[in-house]
Amino acid sequence: MAEPTPTPAARASAHGLVKVYGSGPTAVRALDDVDVAFSGAHLTAIMGPSGSGKSTLMHCMAGLDTPTAGQVVVDGQDISRMSQRRLTALRRTRIGFVFQSYNLVPTLTAAENITLPLDIARTPVDRDWFDEVVGAVGLADRLHHRPSELSGGQQQRVACARALVSRPSVVFADEPTGNLDSRSSGEVLAFLRRSVDELGQTVVMVTHDPRAASYAHRVVFLADGRIAGEILDPSQQDVLDALAAVAEPS
Amino acid sequence: MIRVALRGVRAHLVRFVLSVLAVTLGVAFVVGTFAFRGMLSSTFDDIIATTLVADVYVRGADVLESDNPGAGGGSGGGFGEARSLVPLDLADDLARLDGVDRAVPDVSGPVVLVSADGTAVVTSGPPSTAFSIDPQDPSLTLADGAWPAGGQIVLEESAARTAGLEVGDTTTVVLGDEPSEVEVAGVFTVEAAPAGAVLVGIDDATARAAYAPDGLAAMISVYADAGTDAGADVDAQGLADRVGASLPEGAEAVTGDQVREEAGEAVEQVLGFIETFLLVFAAIALFVGAFIITNTFAMSVRERLRELALLRALGASPAQVFASVLAQALVVGVVGAALGVLAGAGLVRLIRAGLAAGGLEFSGRAPLDATQIVLAVGLGALVSVLAAILPARRAALVPPVQAMRDDVAPDRGTGVRAAAGLVLVAVGAGVLVLAAHLGASVSDAPTGWEVVDGLDPRLLLGVGAGLVLVGVLVGSPAVARGVLTVLAAPLVAALRPLGRLARGNVTRTPRRTASTAGALLIGMALVSVTGVIAASTQASVRTVVETEVRADLLVDSATWVVPDGALRAVEAVPGTQSVDAVRLGVTPALAVDAPAGTEARGADVGGVPARFFATALDPVAIQGDPTAALEAGDAVVHRSTARERGWEHGDVLELGAGAAAREVRIGAVIDSQIVSTGVVVDDDLFDALVPAGQQSVRIVYVTATDPAGTEALRADLLAAVEPYLVLTVLDREETASAFADQVDQVLVILYALLALSIVIALLGIVNTLALSIIERTREIGLLRAVGLGRLQLAGIIAIESVLTAVYGTVLGVATGIGIGAALPGVLADEGLSTLAIPWTQVLGVLGAAVVIGLVASVWPAIRAARLPVLDAVSVD
Repeated sequence: MAEPTPTPAARASAHGLVKVYGSGPTAVRALDDVDVAFSGAHLTAIMGPSGSGKSTLMHCMAGLDTPTAGQVVVDGQDISRMSQRRLTALRRTRIGFVFQSYNLVPTLTAAENITLPLDIARTPVDRDWFDEVVGAVGLADRLHHRPSELSGGQQQRVACARALVSRPSVVFADEPTGNLDSRSSGEVLAFLRRSVDELGQTVVMVTHDPRAASYAHRVVFLADGRIAGEILDPSQQDVLDALAAVAEPS
Repeated sequence: MIRVALRGVRAHLVRFVLSVLAVTLGVAFVVGTFAFRGMLSSTFDDIIATTLVADVYVRGADVLESDNPGAGGGSGGGFGEARSLVPLDLADDLARLDGVDRAVPDVSGPVVLVSADGTAVVTSGPPSTAFSIDPQDPSLTLADGAWPAGGQIVLEESAARTAGLEVGDTTTVVLGDEPSEVEVAGVFTVEAAPAGAVLVGIDDATARAAYAPDGLAAMISVYADAGTDAGADVDAQGLADRVGASLPEGAEAVTGDQVREEAGEAVEQVLGFIETFLLVFAAIALFVGAFIITNTFAMSVRERLRELALLRALGASPAQVFASVLAQALVVGVVGAALGVLAGAGLVRLIRAGLAAGGLEFSGRAPLDATQIVLAVGLGALVSVLAAILPARRAALVPPVQAMRDDVAPDRGTGVRAAAGLVLVAVGAGVLVLAAHLGASVSDAPTGWEVVDGLDPRLLLGVGAGLVLVGVLVGSPAVARGVLTVLAAPLVAALRPLGRLARGNVTRTPRRTASTAGALLIGMALVSVTGVIAASTQASVRTVVETEVRADLLVDSATWVVPDGALRAVEAVPGTQSVDAVRLGVTPALAVDAPAGTEARGADVGGVPARFFATALDPVAIQGDPTAALEAGDAVVHRSTARERGWEHGDVLELGAGAAAREVRIGAVIDSQIVSTGVVVDDDLFDALVPAGQQSVRIVYVTATDPAGTEALRADLLAAVEPYLVLTVLDREETASAFADQVDQVLVILYALLALSIVIALLGIVNTLALSIIERTREIGLLRAVGLGRLQLAGIIAIESVLTAVYGTVLGVATGIGIGAALPGVLADEGLSTLAIPWTQVLGVLGAAVVIGLVASVWPAIRAARLPVLDAVSVD
């Protein structure tokens, strides 16, 4: 396993990232001097056992949480020192999110949920791009349904479309298949991969499902708040082997 | 963003219904007040426009401004300030002036009309007036019969209906002094709705004999020569100038427009007081309603925490989230207020119909102008938005990471609230103590600090009461857990396991419980303050009547005036040791050593026999001896008047106007709850100061020769005054009860006005319970799944509701009594000297709280019991 090498094409990168929760003797070092880079037009999976810091890494990289030390660069901008106001603007324009529990607004239709980030930013909807995204997730006939009228897989695909509609630099997906059955998972993962391959998007996905990781171009492993290795274009078996190695460090 | 907000309201319409209703009720009260005032205004405008129709009026030049409106002398009707009188004979001279068609003196006064069933016609406030009929008066139309000659009367249509009298009937009227038999000669109508006043027309000679025995009238109406069409402009100012030039000293001529304008202003001033009074209660209702809105939005924000965090994660700024919550509040406020405007306008029509059914005719117009409607809607929206600010702030501060967490943020601590509440209550209590100290003090400098002594005790009372109330509201969440645990203890012990579960539900969110109870707290605090005032007033009156009244019996009048004939009849009754009449009037008063240029202001003056303070009343003498003062021809001054005007024992006053002016020394300063007039002088001086036409006998004190014969004397007195219909004879016990009855009547009105706030508070409990049931759906399902019965579930909710209601009431009553304790000091001058706490009423209020709690729980309990168990468990 090679050391991660930050490339000039990196859309998002972290340098010496440290995140400590609490203080004094009860302090927890969730991230411990992490260096990582996510290159453009790649689907990257972050894996690791519970408590390894993968969610914290994603929150810090997405500007949802402020790191204790270190630097986070998204789209060429150092976000670790940004004010809340600028972070809000960054989330609005450069970053997309997909959550484990879909997090759709129950009172809005699927179409309205998808365009919500644009509404918030008061940006006009690019109809061509919207149609392309909606076509890619295969929801053209469900656009006027409320979330409660959609299946879990459909809801998560709406959430994916919402993440992509503002053409973000990076989409962060937090366990996007955690609540889905295997068929729906397959649909969502296929879509995320397609969005990278066909639509040229950049996706970073936190997961602990080896099958989900096998859809990625690259898998980064975390353990105890540190980078524990990475593999490229893995199969499901590669991921399982690597995970076993991470869990029992030699 | 705004779409998310609006969809949120639409999707959860039911959750906002009660918030909307709260705004609706409050705004309806405001709009109703505006419309009610508009109705009264247009009624009186009509009356003024149709009764004051002359081109020029001649009236007394001196204004007898009274400190105490309504306590003025007997003769002279109409609106506005009391004035000196003009001679009747002047009318004849005026009629001969060039350009004058007619000059008619206004001769009128109070009357008692006996209805067909033999009882006096009693109004609930509007006057009963008899006046000299001028058949040419364009505002009067004869509907039936003929205009009256001697021994006849004509009745206004609604008065005839109320009295059940028709043309040709005979009945009794009391005009001025004597009751007399009269025939109803006709029925007339007036252009304006009479608003409950009883109007009796009599012929000029009878009117002059009854109301102008001294040849003086309040006003003379001068009509210009018609000459041209009725609609043509008369040069009223020119006529007034010409008339004015011919007048003797002491009279002035003014145009009809000016008189109408002055009358209008006087009416508007009184209506303004009524409006302000009602608006205070409307404001309380809106304030209480704000608690419902705050709670609704707090719970809505709590429930939507993840959604709000998601919006933040998607790039919404805190300001956008804040605005989206406020937008929801705006919708609630505007919808509620719009409904409130309709409800308020309808309410006034209802009131009008109700009053009309009770014999009080008002103008059909209850105008609301656009400004008032905009104001009312704006007020509703503003209250709603203000109430939502705290929840909106909380929503704006939701960290975006919350979107990815499953746990709900814990309720924040209450330490700051406890400290802030404690400080506010402490400062408020300090201000109340100071207010009581200043108010009760006799000296000019109770504390010695000029700045402090200059403060108005009533202002301090208001500020202190406000601080205490706000302090309790602020600190309430901090004490909620403790107090609720104590209150719930018996229920926990008696109703296992329901009591424990219910207690857990109300104590786990102390902020919410406190806020829900807050609405009731305010209402109950006001109810208890009112109750304390009422009980204390009644206790004070009782004490005062027992200590201050020396006389055995009092002859009082329902019309506030004892006819002179009745006074003579009382004096003629044998077995009396003393008969002391109190006569009232108004006269200009000024301290002789007052700085040059100070205007003399009118003072209420009372005329009594010199022995009055020995035989009739025994007031607290602060300085000097009141009996000695009266015997020496000095004035006795009431403490409150002395303090207000800066007079002291020994000062010399100039009383009376013009030639009647006298210099009188202040011989004594008294403190009395019964004498409300500022200056009391003996009869001779009173006659010299106040013209006969402006004197009226207010009340007569009678002492029996033989104390044992009081009952017999009372029967004799009753027989003597019986023909005057409106007089009553009271012993001391009944006097106290009569005062107490008056207090009770006022109390009923206040409670009725406060009832709306209590109803809104009840809605608040329903609201919180219903919302918390939605919030706890999963938990309720779990309880039901493990075997909790529907009835048991309903029981838990009822207990929660009762606990919340009782909690608010306990705090409210405690606050109210605390504030009430300061009242006797501040309001000593108003007759409130003894503090009495109505404990039975307090128990009653607590009982009412239990009922309120039970009523409030009915609908939420039914809703909860109907939740299907499976849905409840599987809800996301």
